[in-house]
Parts: sequence; structure tokens; C-alpha cells
Amino acid sequence: MLKGAEIVLQCVRAEGVDLVFGYPGGAIMPLYDALDGSGIRHVLTRHEQGAAFAAEGYARVTGKVGVAIATSGPGATNLVTGIADAKMDSVPLVCITGQVRTAMIGTDAFQETDVFGVTLSLTKWSRLVRTIEEIPEAIAEGFHWARSGRPGPVVIDIPTDILKAKKEFSGPVKFTPQAQPADVKTESTFSDKIVALLHGATRPVALVGAGAKLSGAIPGLRRLLDELNVPTFATVHGLGAVPPQAPYYLGMVGMHGTRAANMALHETDLLMVFGARLDDRVTGDPIKFAPQAKIVHFEIDPAQLDRVRACELPVIGNLAETIPAFHAGLRHASLPDWSGWRAVACGAERAELDPRGLAQPTMRFLDELFSRLPQDNVIIADVGQHQMWAAQRYRSSSPRGFITSGGLGAMGFALPAAVGVQLAKPDTCVLCVSGDGGFQMNIQELATVHRLGLPIKMVIVDNKYLGMVRQWQQLFYERNYAETDLSDNPDFVEIAKAYKIHGWRLNEAAMVEFPVSAETGDLIDTFLRSPGPELLVFDCAPEANVYPMVPAGAALSEMVFGDE
Amino acid sequence: MQVFHIRYRNAQGTLMRILNAVSRRALELASVHAEGAGQDYAVTMLLEVNQKQIGQLYREWYSIVDVIEVRSRAVLHEQEVPAWGPHPPASENIADQSTRAALA
Repeated sequence: MLKGAEIVLQCVRAEGVDLVFGYPGGAIMPLYDALDGSGIRHVLTRHEQGAAFAAEGYARVTGKVGVAIATSGPGATNLVTGIADAKMDSVPLVCITGQVRTAMIGTDAFQETDVFGVTLSLTKWSRLVRTIEEIPEAIAEGFHWARSGRPGPVVIDIPTDILKAKKEFSGPVKFTPQAQPADVKTESTFSDKIVALLHGATRPVALVGAGAKLSGAIPGLRRLLDELNVPTFATVHGLGAVPPQAPYYLGMVGMHGTRAANMALHETDLLMVFGARLDDRVTGDPIKFAPQAKIVHFEIDPAQLDRVRACELPVIGNLAETIPAFHAGLRHASLPDWSGWRAVACGAERAELDPRGLAQPTMRFLDELFSRLPQDNVIIADVGQHQMWAAQRYRSSSPRGFITSGGLGAMGFALPAAVGVQLAKPDTCVLCVSGDGGFQMNIQELATVHRLGLPIKMVIVDNKYLGMVRQWQQLFYERNYAETDLSDNPDFVEIAKAYKIHGWRLNEAAMVEFPVSAETGDLIDTFLRSPGPELLVFDCAPEANVYPMVPAGAALSEMVFGDE
Repeated sequence: MQVFHIRYRNAQGTLMRILNAVSRRALELASVHAEGAGQDYAVTMLLEVNQKQIGQLYREWYSIVDVIEVRSRAVLHEQEVPAWGPHPPASENIADQSTRAALA
């Protein structure tokens, strides 16, 4: 006879899970009681939101399912932001929550919330377990849906009496989904159609998003892009999918994308999208988005099609299959000569305006930091100005090397996510870049970093403002800096010290020289190569802005490049 | 007005997810009726939608794990008996298996 909690853990272990993140509480106590000897390592975060983001960080860097555990009521509701984040960014996440006793459900019992109902619109699948017999099936099905198709979050809510109940257990089960209706064509004709579209195109481009990475399609995609040799750019989640040194690569596209990428996207007459949702941060004003383009959309999730504009050719399926199939179809096709278009789109006139050495101080700081990172590194960015600066300066070709909350834009993501990343990649240099606002949203996870001795390198870009909001207030609200002033920030170095983490401070004045002084270089090197956790506060100008920028309601071609 | 007929397995929350696709778009839901239909369940809804929303709803409903089939047609008169038409054209695909994974 096994307790329900032991059955849960055995089933979770059978899904290949050996690390979970969580925070205990009343209704989930039976599960915690059974952890010892389960073969599953539990990492205690200091807030349930931290657990969800840490599980996400683990999932994002490994591609495996991340698991977060919380108790009923506030424990479960504290997971919700992480669940929403996982939904937006297609992260496989399983959240196991305790629930009040079965007999108490619906009575507004202590720490009771309808977490099933609360998360219904945020999850891909969820289950309120009603009997101990349901546990093996619920766990197997939950993990299946979390990792299949377009990955996403799952909630499994288990009443505490079911966790405590006992039954004979014959072992974990496998879940086999019921077949979906065969409502699609089986013959492969799309490749010929794309070739025909390519023959009619004079200005083709390729846009790469997260889907290319999530599906494991990167090697095939790179081979395809090398052959197509058309101007190519990436969303923030697509960064690293295309080697930045590729002659056709134009960098990041969208609201803070490069001039070259945004102009090419605006001017194209054939847009090939590989695993991107085309959200409003990428398109600018949807009405003015790529006005002359026909769109070929490679996508795994049909629900993402036609959200901005109807596409001429949707190609639904796993990109790891559809991209090679398309490439195979190119074998006997001779492609038009697009050298003239390439020369314009990739030419010097549209080159980066702020190369290393000429960029503003924070970007130069990030250039220094990134260039001094060991080869094996992962950068986790929080949300705000520093996120966009980091994305603009990211130059790696590691597909899972740049992690951020892109869709939901959840401040406070980076530090706990870095915990998950570092645990997944103990020998990798994990660099966590936050702003002073976001860092304080999950600052308590410094305790997790210290307890585990994780050698995370934490950077706070401290402009003493909620910088991105302030930037918008400056540009669109006549400098009415309503409630964005954080000039009374605590001393982050002292805060780190209280958590027994060493802290450094660097002022942007150190970035005036180029190359930077030996002293500054040594400080950054020492910071990055320290064997333990380190915090570096970079004090920067309060009113520095992120440019280029596509103002809200503007076309991608209507970027602004400075304050004037 | 458009009538939608959705067949689904009556797993926890499936009907709520179907309705959520409507409510999140703040669409006018003139009527809704759900009942058992053989081994499955079916919900019939009358909605005020445009052509783009029809496509979006179809795709979102099909991405719900336990939705089996979606059909729709325009209704000109309230008493008119719907003659169900096929759903909007499917996307290009390379194989059923891939599509099933995509729809998962």
C-alpha cells in the first residue's frame, strides 16, 4: 500500500523528473512528507512565484518539463504569473498544487481557492484529482500535454486527503492520446507552393522565432537559410537560432529591433515565418505590417495563424519535420537571383548605428560583459530597458543561450529563472541581467542562491527608475514620470551582503574610455570568474533610452533613433 | 450571426475552455446549449462574429485538448435549421502525424 503522495512522486519520477521547485504549506504537506527517498530533489525557493520561474528557467534551458509545487490557496495563486508566462512563451511546466480536503471543496475553507478555475484560461490542460485511483493517469496525461505539440503549462490540483489516502499501486501508467480527426491533406505539396512564391518574389525575407528552437529544428533551419540566402532576422526568443555572423542575418526585429531588420520586414514581398507568433512587439501597427508581403507561416499551433493578418500559406506541423521537407523540395529548384535585394537589405547604409565603442554607456557595459563571458554561458534577462539592451547586444549562436520573459513580460523573472538554469547547467556561466525594479520583485531568491551556493553572476542595471515605463512617459506622456521614480532604492550591495553574497559596484563613467581601462576590465573579469555567486550593480544614467524604437501605432519603418 | 457546433470529450474544464475562447474576445454570445451526444458531448453556440474571428475561434477550439470537431454556418433566420458546413480550409501539412502533434 502506498500513500497518494508517494504515488504522485513515483509517477513524476517515471516522467524523468529528478528536480522540482516549490514551497510547502498545509494542504501539500503529505507530498513534502514523502519527498525523502523519492529520488526527486526539491529546491526550496522563498516564494511560489520564484518556484514557478525557476522551474521555467530549468525547462527553457533543457527543453525538459519543469515542475513547481505549492500548497492550496495563496500558494497556488502565487504560481499564476509563472503559469501565464509559460503559456505565452510555450514552456513545458507542470504545477502540482495541494487542495483542501475533498469534503471541504466549495465551502470557502481555510486556504481554499479554485485554482482549477483560476488557471483554466492559462493552462493547456488541468485536472482536479478526485480519487487516489486517478493519480497515475492524471500525472501521465499532464506531462504528456505539457511537452507535446506547442509546449505549455499544466496544473494538477490534488486534495490533501487524497495525498494521505492509501492504495495498492501497480506502477506508473503511460498516456496515449486519442487520435485527432484527420482533417488535413496528407500529400506534401506545400514545398512546391513556396518555391512558386519564391519565384514570384523580388524581396523575400525569413523571420525566426522561438518555435524553431523549441522543435529542435535549428540544424535544419540553418542549412535551409544558408541555401536560401535571404535577409533573415529573429524575434527576441529567436535570438541565437541564426549565427550572428551569417552574412544574411540582420539581428533582432520589432519594437527595439535593428534598423536593417525592421526595414527589410517592412519592404519584403514574401515573408517566411519560422515558429513565431507575430505578436504586436514584432509587427508594430498590424495594419501597416509588411504591407506588400505574402506570408508563409511555419507553425506548430494552428491557433497562432492569421492573428495579425491572413497568411497565404500556413504550414502547420513540427518545424523539425516541415523545414527539412521544404528544404528537400528546393533541391531541384533554381532560385531567382536576389543579390540586388540582399545588397540593399544587408548593406552598409542600414548597418548598426551604434557599434561597439560608440554605443551609449549601458550598451557598452553589456558589450564588455558579454565579450568577456566564458564560451559556455547562458544569459537570463529580466523585463525592461536592460532586457532590450541585452537583446540588442546579444551575439551568441547558442539557441538556448538567451532566456527572457518575452510574451508576458513578467518583471522579477530573471533571478529565479537563473536559479533553475544554473541547477540544470551547473558548469555553465549563468549571467542574470535585471533592472532595479524587477530585481526587487523576487529579491528574496538571493537566499536560494546563497543556500545552494549557485555561482550565478547577477547584474543590476540601476537607473533608479522603472526605466521602460519612464521612457514611455518621457516620449508619450510629456515627461509626467508618475510613480516610476525609484531613487530611494536600497543599497543592493549591502542587501547582497546581508544574504552573504559578495557585491560590486560600477559606475557608467567607467565606460567613457574605449577600450575600457585595465582596472574596469579586471573588475568585470573577476566578477565573471568568481567561483561563487556575485552581484554587480551598474549605476547608469536615469534617463537613458532604448533606441531604435517603433512607437506604438507606427509601422516598423517609422523607427525613431533618439530623443529628438 | 453564426452558429457553431462543437463536439468534445467531457473532460474536466473542456466546456469552460471552449466558452473562454468566446469570453476572452468579448463576443456577444446570444445562446449556448450543451448536451450529451452519443459517447461525446456537444455544445451549440450562436455568436456575433466576423470572418477573421471565425478562423481564430476554429483554431483556438481545435487547440483545446478534448475538442473533437468544430462546425459552423451562418444563420439568416432564427428558426432556420442549420445545415453544417465544413470548417475553414485546413492548413498545408506534411503528414497526419505531424498535424496531430501540432493540434496536441
